[in-house]
Amino acid sequence: MSPTEERTTHFGFQEVAVDEKASRVADVFHSVAARYDIMNDVMSMGIHRIWKRLAIERAGVRPGHHVLDIAGGTGDLTLKFSRLVGPRGKVILADINASMLRVGRDKLMDNGVGGNVEYVQANAECLPFPDNSFDCITIAFGLRNVTDKDAALRSMARVLKPGGRLLVLEFSKPNNALLSKAYDEYSFRLLPKMGELVAGDGESYRYLAESIRMHPDQETLKGMMEAAGLERVEYTNLTGGIVALHRGIKL
Amino acid sequence: MLVTPTLLLAGCERMLNALLARDPASPARLSALAGSRLLVRLEKPHLQLVLHYHHAGIDLLRGDDLDETDVDAIVELTPETLSEWLSGASVERLMFDGKLSVRGRIHLLEATRDLLFDLDIDWESELARWLGELPAHSLAEGIRRAARWGLRAKDELLQDVSEYVFEEARLLPGRQQRDVLRDHLTELEISTDRLEARLNRLHRRLTQLTAQQKKTHLQSEEPH
Repeated sequence: MSPTEERTTHFGFQEVAVDEKASRVADVFHSVAARYDIMNDVMSMGIHRIWKRLAIERAGVRPGHHVLDIAGGTGDLTLKFSRLVGPRGKVILADINASMLRVGRDKLMDNGVGGNVEYVQANAECLPFPDNSFDCITIAFGLRNVTDKDAALRSMARVLKPGGRLLVLEFSKPNNALLSKAYDEYSFRLLPKMGELVAGDGESYRYLAESIRMHPDQETLKGMMEAAGLERVEYTNLTGGIVALHRGIKL
Repeated sequence: MLVTPTLLLAGCERMLNALLARDPASPARLSALAGSRLLVRLEKPHLQLVLHYHHAGIDLLRGDDLDETDVDAIVELTPETLSEWLSGASVERLMFDGKLSVRGRIHLLEATRDLLFDLDIDWESELARWLGELPAHSLAEGIRRAARWGLRAKDELLQDVSEYVFEEARLLPGRQQRDVLRDHLTELEISTDRLEARLNRLHRRLTQLTAQQKKTHLQSEEPH
């Protein structure tokens, strides 16, 4: 492998330089931040709420827990976690993108969330927290945008307390050929058009569809989590495998 | 299959919180309960539900892999006990009857019932949020007037129909007429009973008379 090949990664279906991916992903999210929530509802027909709810149920967060919501974006999970951990606990909403973080912070404040939530702009590959700090870490629809996923998973495993859980909610591979075909049609034809109409940005949603196809499938991600040092890794397919919820425990 | 209970819970939670948000008494009750967790175990269907109270409402969570130490109170219910409790039976009575098992902070249960069943929803203020104070008040007054008129109209209609049916068209007998009819029928029954008795008596006397006559006739025909 030549040095130039080593330094490229995928950005959707394109090959871009490693250093370039983060800034290009950042551009996508700067562009969609304001309309992110409404687009999520339109694109998933509201089902993303159920996926996130299931992730919250699996997180098993209790009062007093410390939770890290990576790529928390507009704070859907953080809102619920902040209620669950109560005043003794703490939730940190981390996102690499300042625009998304700002939208999330405004939304949480509008919902009366304050005392137990902190906002950190951080890169998932090198989380700025001490080892063994969190009872639960979640990353919902964020891992596929990370340049070095293995480094990110290692970093998450590092900051997780022993016994803590990592939950990865991410698009995956549908397990039914017919569904897969319909899903491809939907995401490559309809999705960019919807993005154009609702968020005024078709390209960003084309990237979304492409990045989903480039993301590792259920078994590969499970292997990656195990390689990062997590144990008892299991996954649940949601909506026929369009989304998968992986859960690993640091022992 | 996996998503269905979550979907149902999400729906219930949303509806519950929407209702709670419209009750002026809820914020005070919720802030007293905020942070508490109540685990409800239903025997049939086997279901574990956690009610997590917060300032804005209640989170409903599945409590399948929950440790009992993580909740403030645990209630174990059978479907019959649940229906009795919901219909207003006191927690103490159900506990003394041995139908309800509660552990932990028992008052959470009473507070939950107060919160959910003493809902007094302020529809007018919700309308005011959408339409503004004055139009909402006029609309609410209109609805109240219409409701009052509806009740009055219903009473009057019932009265009119009953008067027409019983008094004017005489399609059905009224209570008084029925009583008179019953008295007449009773009188008739007594009279027919009396008549029957008299006929029986006459019949008996006639039989006796005929027998006597036969006897006399035979005696007079005997040769001397």
